[in-house]
Amino acid sequence: MKRYFSIAVLFLLMVSTVSAQLDRTTPPEPGPAPEVKIGDYKTFTLSNGLTVIVVENHKAPVVSYSLTLDVTLPREDNAVGYVQVAGELLRAGTTNRTKAEIDEAVDFIGATLQTHSKGIYARSLSKHNELLLEIMSDVLLNPTFPQEELDKLVTQYKTAIQANKEESRAIAENVAGALVYGKDDPYGEIVTENTLDNVTVELCKNYYTSYFRPNEAYLVIVGDISVKDAKRQVRKYFGDWEEGSVPQNLFPYPACYEQPQVAIANKEGANQSTVMVTHEAMLTPGHPDAIKARVMNQILGGGSFNARLFQNLREDKGFTYGAYSSLESDERVGRFTAAAEVRTSVTDSALTEILKEMERIRSEPVSDEELQLVKNVISGEFGRSLEDPQTVARFALNIERYGLPKDYYETYLQKVESVTKDDVREAALKYLKPGQAVILAVGNVSAIEEKMKKFSPSQKVTQYDYYGNVVEKKAVSGDIKASEVIEKYIDAIGGSEALTEVDDLKMVMEMEVQGMALQVNLFQKRPDKLYQETVMNGNVVSKQVFDGEKGKMQSPMGDQVLEGEALTQMKESAKIFPELTYVKDGVKLKMKGIENVDGKETYKIVVTKPSGTESSVFYGVEDGLKYKEVAQTPQGTVSTTFADYEDVEGILFPMTMKQVMGPQNFDIQIQSVELNTGIEDSRFEVN
Amino acid sequence: MKKMKRSSLFLLALVLSGSVMFAQQRQIEFTEYDLDNGLHVILHEDHSTPIVSVSVMYHVGSKNEQPDRTGFAHFFEHLMFEGTENIPRGEYSRYVEKSGGTLNANTSADRTYYYEILPSNQLEMGLWLESERMLHAKVDSVGIATQKQVVIEEKKQNYDNRPYGSILIEVMKRAFKEHPYRWTTIGDPDHIRAAKDEEFQQFYDQFYVPDNAVLVIAGDIEPEKTRQLVQKYFGDIPAGEGEIYRPDVVEPPLGGEVRDTVYDNIQIPLVLHAYRTPAMGTEDYYALEMLSTLLADGQSSRLYKSLVDEQQIAMQVSSFPLPFRDPSVSIAFALPNMGKDIEELEQAMITEIEKVKNNLIDEKEFQKLKNKFENDIISSKTRIAGIANDLARYYTYFGDTDMINSELDKYMSVTREDIKRVANKYYTKDNRVVLYYLPESQKN
Repeated sequence: MKRYFSIAVLFLLMVSTVSAQLDRTTPPEPGPAPEVKIGDYKTFTLSNGLTVIVVENHKAPVVSYSLTLDVTLPREDNAVGYVQVAGELLRAGTTNRTKAEIDEAVDFIGATLQTHSKGIYARSLSKHNELLLEIMSDVLLNPTFPQEELDKLVTQYKTAIQANKEESRAIAENVAGALVYGKDDPYGEIVTENTLDNVTVELCKNYYTSYFRPNEAYLVIVGDISVKDAKRQVRKYFGDWEEGSVPQNLFPYPACYEQPQVAIANKEGANQSTVMVTHEAMLTPGHPDAIKARVMNQILGGGSFNARLFQNLREDKGFTYGAYSSLESDERVGRFTAAAEVRTSVTDSALTEILKEMERIRSEPVSDEELQLVKNVISGEFGRSLEDPQTVARFALNIERYGLPKDYYETYLQKVESVTKDDVREAALKYLKPGQAVILAVGNVSAIEEKMKKFSPSQKVTQYDYYGNVVEKKAVSGDIKASEVIEKYIDAIGGSEALTEVDDLKMVMEMEVQGMALQVNLFQKRPDKLYQETVMNGNVVSKQVFDGEKGKMQSPMGDQVLEGEALTQMKESAKIFPELTYVKDGVKLKMKGIENVDGKETYKIVVTKPSGTESSVFYGVEDGLKYKEVAQTPQGTVSTTFADYEDVEGILFPMTMKQVMGPQNFDIQIQSVELNTGIEDSRFEVN
Repeated sequence: MKKMKRSSLFLLALVLSGSVMFAQQRQIEFTEYDLDNGLHVILHEDHSTPIVSVSVMYHVGSKNEQPDRTGFAHFFEHLMFEGTENIPRGEYSRYVEKSGGTLNANTSADRTYYYEILPSNQLEMGLWLESERMLHAKVDSVGIATQKQVVIEEKKQNYDNRPYGSILIEVMKRAFKEHPYRWTTIGDPDHIRAAKDEEFQQFYDQFYVPDNAVLVIAGDIEPEKTRQLVQKYFGDIPAGEGEIYRPDVVEPPLGGEVRDTVYDNIQIPLVLHAYRTPAMGTEDYYALEMLSTLLADGQSSRLYKSLVDEQQIAMQVSSFPLPFRDPSVSIAFALPNMGKDIEELEQAMITEIEKVKNNLIDEKEFQKLKNKFENDIISSKTRIAGIANDLARYYTYFGDTDMINSELDKYMSVTREDIKRVANKYYTKDNRVVLYYLPESQKN
């Protein structure tokens, strides 16, 4: 008892001493670094040429079988998609089993069986593995590619294309692929409804017979199995697989651009843009530069919180939820991509920052601290990845496939540690090409097109669709002039005679801001008198008054007498129907062609007021009505859309307006419009 | 090199299902105890890889928010990376990454979870960082302003702009009228915009206290030394003072089918049924989860086989219960193949559900279901990070950490009759929300 007591006291004493000493202001020192061990693997080859890699790991009673073809894919020409379809169809029926029987057998043991154009992946509890292998070898050796399963898949693919048209990332991938590789390159080919119509059972069978050959394949077995059992199983289930010569496909390396290619694509109703800077990279797996290039990319925009793109675009500017870059090696054509989803108003700023960061890492040495941090990130990630036995298998496969030195991964961390600042800069100069990149934004094209011009030395911005085809700007029919569009608009809402008769106007609007209801009362009187008040909970919170010459704004921040540019702008917006006097007022109009606004064809007119303020206004081709206005203001771009036109004493007014200003979004409902009620001049007095 | 991305739809399923986790057949050994300040500590030792996971689960989620401050718990998670009294803004993640570690956090309706995974010699670093966060996190107005923008972009990217991204928001607001599950973790950006800086401090003082948290340390550790270090870093953190707000709202029955249409920027319509279900951990919940798997998990599942393969009226089907601590919903949805009628598709879904209600499933199919659960549960428990998360969750939700070992039995003791029974009890017309997602272009 006594002894126990003293130990307890000792323990308490020790604990309290420890906490008394705790200095929270400095981070603790690490203990001695643990040893990172890469698990072992065994390889052997069957007489038909199949190379097998086995990684034993008995932590969980699970085993996986992953078959990978080491082939280069053919070009698919007018049947793009057939290679992928062939891969999926492998498990859709064999000479022994229907698809339903395969599904049932796989699901019954709770297993996974996936087939794809370059292989098969199967996994189950080890107690079920013989059953799993039986099905796996059946789909590998005896697939039948049933017509009805092909038809089903094609329908699903077509439906998926439809869905992808709304995905800005999917649009961006297609456009970027077409531009980086070229649409004739197998990497740049795009699956369309038309190419899917050309996919046949025969094409799928040909692909299978030509490419699924053991002599160009690796089987990787990982998990709760002995090498001896693995050998026996492989002979039994894959020994009869016949070898054969596999076609070699050689394609030219895609041509590089001389200058940046600036591309945009439209995503209807987008309030964010997907921005991307991307280009090819001549970097093969295991290339001597690969590790240096990885360190470089990690500093620029790899997955860490401290990467430059993440810090700059998210933590510093708040443009986005995340910004990342990747530099992928590939046996044929590698690729660099930096991308982010950003709010529409900063589409160009975000690209500017991405390009700036690419230039910076090319021109300035990285700091010692940054370099060390990234090395630590990479080593940490390496260590963590070894928890998964699949990592060991992947290392083994890479060594075999790419002919890497046997100790490539054992010495990986040493190689990372030896990367210098000069190495990083050299890798940046070699593998980052901001001047030859595809610079792409997918979003609301009418809001981003102009802003994208600055990225092209020749001011050229090309619009693409989901299929990577150039969108031709629709020519304006005949030679309709901007002024005629304005005349048509005036006619459409009631005609100049009716409009001229409006002497004054009172409009009540309602909107919600941050959960609070606001009412805006607008009074206007000819020629240029304006009074506007904003009411919240019955109290006037702000006011703008303009008597034709003088103007004033009142807000909780105080009163402000309008002067200079602000006064001119107020005068320009005080008119009830400004279009009526465009000519007299010296407003300049420019026809910009036909564009789509919420599914409607509109004429886009750029309106420049004498003060220099510019806005784009969209008038319906069919009905002449105004549907949208995008104005540049000191507060940023303000985009307003108009809808639900209703007749008020012979004149049409939009009853719904949506205004987007930076991150804010206002839905404005017009409650009432009254005309010629005889508003007193005193309403507009500025004092 | 994939030429076509089909990921979007699968992503959707992922987004909706979150992480549905199961228990483990292999015994997971652990020790647990409380510090004087009420912090619960769980240690799990596993030396197979030289890494350690340090994580803290705070028992606060969007459920604990005020109706005019929705999104607060998740926003707070972002702020918790900003810094502490001793860690300047932006340095928190730098310390982790410099140590060769990784970190992240996530928020659900019921809890908020933070973790670092580090090389095992950096255990103390993890403890220092998490104790700093618990003792005196510091948020300045610059950080608040920046994270407000980030979270608003997050909402656009993951909810507004992702096709069907608003599904949970639309379902929950119709399935619940009283309970805070009626809003989702992302909340209303306007509420976050309107929040004043001092409100964040109040939230922190109330919820980020040791007696509202569990600390889990898992991996390559020496338990005795770890205990001492835990005492060193967490022992002097004061316990919380005020009462912790835990709504005990009992949502009344739905009281009749709720049927609605949502127009979204999508091309393919979607039909969805959300049935009100009992809370996680109840017996009926296990049966419902198995029912859900029976319906739509795997290519031989009832809905997949019938709607996708045989009738070919759907391109995709999915079904899962939301793993929430209070009673919530189980969701089943389907996307029609091009040109197929959505009402016909809904009718076909109902027909399949009626079959389960009227006929006992056969022994073979039931065995398949059990095999699947066994496989999933065993396979899901191979990583330290996953085990740590489960330990924290079982303790936080049920006060019973050992459920990590016993939960499989609960699934295995479900009977065929149970599945039929819960189908009849919960999958009824009056107990469901039906949503049609239609393309914006069909609106008029």
